[in-house]
Amino acid sequence: MLFIELSIQGLVQGAIYALIALGLVLVYGLLRILHVAHAALYTLGAYFGIIIVNAGGHIVIAIVLSMVLVGLIGIGIYRFAYKPLLDKPPLIALIASIGLFIAAEEVYRIIFGAYGMSFSQPPLQQQIELFSGFHLSASRICVVILSVLFISILGWLAASTRTGVAWRATVSDPDMAASFGVDIERVRHINFFIGSALAALAGVMVALLSNLVEPTMGAVPAYKALAIIVLGGLGSVRGTLIASLALGIIESFGTIYAGHILDRDAIAFAFLIIVLMIRPQGLLIRR
Amino acid sequence: MLKVEELTCGYGKMVAVNNISLAVAPGQIVGLIGANGAGKSTTILTLAGLAQAIDGRVELNGQDITHMPVHERVDAGIALVPEGRRVFAELTVSENLLVGGTRLKNWQIKQELQRVYDMFPRLAERRNQMAESLSGGEQQMLAIGRALMAGPELLLIDELSLGLMPLAINECYRVLEGLRKKQLAIILVEQSTERVQQVADHVIVLETGRIVWRGTGDEASRDNTIVEAYLGLT
Ligand SMILES: Nc1ncnc2c1ncn2[C@@H]1O[C@H](COP(=O)(O)OP(=O)(O)OP(=O)(O)O)[C@@H](O)[C@H]1O
Ligand SMILES: [Mg+2]
Repeated sequence: MLFIELSIQGLVQGAIYALIALGLVLVYGLLRILHVAHAALYTLGAYFGIIIVNAGGHIVIAIVLSMVLVGLIGIGIYRFAYKPLLDKPPLIALIASIGLFIAAEEVYRIIFGAYGMSFSQPPLQQQIELFSGFHLSASRICVVILSVLFISILGWLAASTRTGVAWRATVSDPDMAASFGVDIERVRHINFFIGSALAALAGVMVALLSNLVEPTMGAVPAYKALAIIVLGGLGSVRGTLIASLALGIIESFGTIYAGHILDRDAIAFAFLIIVLMIRPQGLLIRR
Repeated sequence: MLKVEELTCGYGKMVAVNNISLAVAPGQIVGLIGANGAGKSTTILTLAGLAQAIDGRVELNGQDITHMPVHERVDAGIALVPEGRRVFAELTVSENLLVGGTRLKNWQIKQELQRVYDMFPRLAERRNQMAESLSGGEQQMLAIGRALMAGPELLLIDELSLGLMPLAINECYRVLEGLRKKQLAIILVEQSTERVQQVADHVIVLETGRIVWRGTGDEASRDNTIVEAYLGLT
């Protein structure tokens, strides 16, 4: 029973990592920028979720609205922060991104307060009996279902629509894609919208699970997501998904079996460091 | 149809090609030859919108396209078969073709795909294979097919035979003749002179970014020694 519980716990955590890391790997694939500020959008998504629900909005509306708003803000970050820097060395964009991330934390502190925010009446807290004697909160089930749903939609979009094919072509060779009429700017906007919206979804989900949103809640996920996409092979979406789940599971089991030595985040980073030492090229070898 | 007048072009502000003029009409092949670094690719890329025109004028069917953004040129009727083929490695053959047909309407796609597959049956057999798993010759066919999906009037081909076996080269040139019969205007860049002289209506020799010789294909064959001298072959 403990095994199942830990597995599910790990799956839930892994799904959240996947939602965050996906946006990061999508941006990296397209622009070769390490988009550190991405984690700030995750935090913002969480704030929007709580604010909308506390203002009387249904949780579904909160999720959708938060995703759309944060998606649009993601496009804004591309337009105003990254686009002007694209012909500069990638280090410049990375520094801009880190600056943006730090600035965002301070802005959240000023606007939303330093002590965090909670749901006045947390939704989706009821326990659901999955099978005899085994209960799981609705919010956890929600995390898994929504992650699988949105990641599947993304996979379908990329594989089976003309926009998705144009998107992958742009990742592969932007100049050639452009020469056949692919509107590169449009692809980038879509890319940032989707990646940011997924981060917002992760934010709302974490808000549901922990019922606390703080200005700095993006910091640890920011580091982890960076390590995850490196582990996933920098640029590989599939590798990123696998690395996210692996990290979630390791954290979940590690906290029980090694929790007396190291705390949760320390276990995660120890795992990431060890794996990257053994396989610096990432879990999956790119063909 | 295509008219290039005193074009100076390069990368950013760096000039690589100076003051060249040329014209291509439908059903014509203009051969562009020259040694490494002569500026052949730069010329082609400028016409495709991937390098910058710095001075001069490019006109296609009477429309000034000198500074037209790259993704709009396909609508003007230009398609590129780039140096090194540059197929989308991790896309399948049919997806590569689909990107070539980016500007087509949904209902046109199937028919255009079929047209390319009829021309290149080998691509049809491999339609669900990753482009990177194709042989060099097949990748070149894919690059040509991808460009044809765009329904171009002007086809820009950079290094058609580079790195290909004689058999594959023959096949590429057969295709080229077929396209000429369909009234496409073609600019063909090669490093070797022989094939180009046979197939081209006009031959232009570039050296360090300038035109140093021009004439008909026949003249190029007759003046072979002159042309080869420019290429540093004799
Ligand atoms: N992306 C680039 N940025 C700056 N300069 C470039 C770039 N590409 C080429 N050049 C320069 O422009 C000049 C012309 O190069 P170009 O590639 O047009 O030659 P080419 O005739 O196609 O040669 P090759 O036969 O080797 O393909 C060269 O001096 C080259 O160094
Ligand atoms: Mg070249």
